[in-house]
Amino acid sequence: MTTTTSGPEALLSHLHSADGSATFSYAGYTIIGAVNGPIEAQRRDELPEEAVVDVVVRPAAGVGGTRERHLEGLLQSTLRQIILVTHFPRSLIQITLQVTIAPENEYVSTKVVQANTTAVLTLMSAAIPLTATLTSVVIAATAEDGSTREIINPTAREIQMSRSLHVFAFTSHGDLILTQSEGEFTMKEWEDILASAQRHCCPSTSGDVSMGDDEASGANLGKFTRIRNDKKAHFEPPNLGVSNSSAVLAALASMGLNRGSPMHLEEG
Amino acid sequence: MPREAEPSQNEKDFILKAVQEGHRLDGRALDHFRQLDLKFGDQYGVADVTLGKTRILAKVTAEVTVPYTDRPFDGIFTITTELSPMASPAFEVNRPTETEVLLSRLLEKTVRRSNALDTESLCLVAGQKCWSVRVDLHVLSHDGNLIDAACLAVVAALRHFRKPDTSMEGETLTVYTPAEREPVPLSWLHSPFCITFSFFGAIQIGEDGEEKDIWLLDTTLLEEQLRVSSCTISMNKHGEICQVAKPGGAPVEAMTIVQCSSLALQKVKDLSDFVDRKLAEDSKHRNKGGLLAELSAENAR
Repeated sequence: MTTTTSGPEALLSHLHSADGSATFSYAGYTIIGAVNGPIEAQRRDELPEEAVVDVVVRPAAGVGGTRERHLEGLLQSTLRQIILVTHFPRSLIQITLQVTIAPENEYVSTKVVQANTTAVLTLMSAAIPLTATLTSVVIAATAEDGSTREIINPTAREIQMSRSLHVFAFTSHGDLILTQSEGEFTMKEWEDILASAQRHCCPSTSGDVSMGDDEASGANLGKFTRIRNDKKAHFEPPNLGVSNSSAVLAALASMGLNRGSPMHLEEG
Repeated sequence: MPREAEPSQNEKDFILKAVQEGHRLDGRALDHFRQLDLKFGDQYGVADVTLGKTRILAKVTAEVTVPYTDRPFDGIFTITTELSPMASPAFEVNRPTETEVLLSRLLEKTVRRSNALDTESLCLVAGQKCWSVRVDLHVLSHDGNLIDAACLAVVAALRHFRKPDTSMEGETLTVYTPAEREPVPLSWLHSPFCITFSFFGAIQIGEDGEEKDIWLLDTTLLEEQLRVSSCTISMNKHGEICQVAKPGGAPVEAMTIVQCSSLALQKVKDLSDFVDRKLAEDSKHRNKGGLLAELSAENAR
């Protein structure tokens, strides 16, 4: 069902002046992300008990408009829930996402997925404490002689033909954190699509593995690669705690970064 | 927003002393550039310039619009520079810093006002339709010498760019997709490049109290913070100077500027050859089967 040809690619910590940075390319998009933080917040913006999360999305050509502001709003409200904002009162965590390559017919919904992943990778590269990581997916539902067909990661053409379009993001605990739906659908359809999104994003994470276990992390890496190869999903959403941060480590290692920064994940 | 961290007194003293003795922190000669790299994207008109740790991405787009009423025979050509917090936390969104204003003005003077791009060729129907060519500059990483790198990125991206082919039949204008007709390059007249000289005061040479200005090429951010003044010379490989800018700072001997401009010519020739070589490599890479010449509908001038 997936029609994109190449798998996701990521490059971490490649910009020298930002605290954390990542480039993520997938499904026709290439987005460069940078995080500065925690830094001093402006007096008028600062919150007395938590950090301000500021997201800036910049398009490849032209100045940002309503689309970018909308996307910024979605990302901001999602990310401030996974960043441990209460650890950094009166400070600012500034996330800049620069789209460098975008497909011709772009939809905000599909961009949310790439932007989310870039943001999470960037936050990890900056060693910002997170409660969980995110995995997101776009699903288009098309009507086919009475029954609905779900298309995971649809192409622009498929989106145009579809009856409704849904975006879901799940935390690594398997909780739904973001949902955006547009088009025509019934509650029953939505629930079905939610279920398949959950299957796609959160494959069973029951097996607890210990950090130091090489075999286990190898298995996780394998799982990550497998997911990368055939399902074109993002890295496996790890459960928190010692168990699955090894998966993230493996994911990061496989992306050429092994500096142990995701260890802070355990703080959650 | 936090300000850029200032170098400490020890750092200042160390670097200034070293520069006076003819050394730089990264071991380069005073007039050497850092490692320069230029990559083109899969799409036309995307250039990614890396100069040491400075990285700049330029993207060119074109669309058909209505020309300005006072210039009915000219197309529209704009260069936009916006420095984001990605380059440094000191840059704020929607509030241009001095660096940003200087950078966009210099690029404007170098590329636009030197007529590097023939805007008349962008006109489609006089007073009604023209191409609007827009260059977006994204500074991804800032480690000094933004001006030279940005100018190189703009020039390379514009020379790499292809706009869709068009034809006029009576009153109707047809814009062809890349599948129908091979896109055509912009009408490019010359390639200006900026060379920035950073001055670090003068040292005494000889017994008779004669003084000599010290200057560096391709400064890093740290060196840029310590310089007393700077001068940007833009010229093309034929030695035609497009502009000279020396925004404030300590005064410099007139002879030094003359010396600088002759060195700038040499450097511009190097940069020009570098861009030519990279463009040739890229077109060779794209033109695998040698089909492009046949596909092109461009007329020989």
